[in-house]
Amino acid sequence: MAELTREVLIKAEPSTIFALLIEPGMQSWLGTDVEFDPRPGGIYKVNVVGDHQALGEFTEVVENEKVVFTFGWNEPGHPIPAGSTKVAITLIPEGDDTLVRLVHSGLPDDAISDHENGWQFFLDRLATVAVGGELVESGELPPG
Amino acid sequence: MDTALKAIADPKRREILRLVWSSEMPASVIASYFHGVTRSAISQHLGVLRRANLVRERRDGHRRLYVANVDEMTRLRTFLDQYWSGGLDRLRTAAEAAQRKKDNNNG
Repeated sequence: MAELTREVLIKAEPSTIFALLIEPGMQSWLGTDVEFDPRPGGIYKVNVVGDHQALGEFTEVVENEKVVFTFGWNEPGHPIPAGSTKVAITLIPEGDDTLVRLVHSGLPDDAISDHENGWQFFLDRLATVAVGGELVESGELPPG
Repeated sequence: MDTALKAIADPKRREILRLVWSSEMPASVIASYFHGVTRSAISQHLGVLRRANLVRERRDGHRRLYVANVDEMTRLRTFLDQYWSGGLDRLRTAAEAAQRKKDNNNG
């Protein structure tokens, strides 16, 4: 199972950030809300891109510290179905600022390693070939 | 290989590839992202990308739909990277604004 981590340092107190994390609104930080009930067992539905919808359940909501929810697509047959992965957001005070750490775990294993993902990976490979280098792997483009 | 390199040498074609990286789009929607570029020019770009095997084309009635020809997991992974980065950026902007307001009220 693969995992993705993103961190951002925010010039704000944990309580300020926490309030926004659990604030329902048409346009929340997650996307456009359809449904948003941020308490353990509560469900959210958010439109993430076009007509695609993410669906999940809040499993842990600890005031000013942590929010954990399941994450997946509300679509039959999707490789990441609803409930299949977990997102944990932790608020870590750092002086006057707060480090927000997002860990998305339980993702299906990728064909490629964590730091070599997607678009950047693809462009890097093309750039390598463009300057006359050789690809270590299959040599086929695009990956997959 | 040459075909793929030539295909992405053009900035507009790279932009098209980005647009269809995580979800399939009809040619008309792709064209709507480009101002001052004719629909037929976009079709030509799509043709170059398709011949280079960088996008897949699918017909749905009169529409032609395009999506980047990458492994599904690679595409999802890229999407999630951008999704969470974008979400945290929005959170930061909103939180820093809220904090400034709080500080001003207290000070």
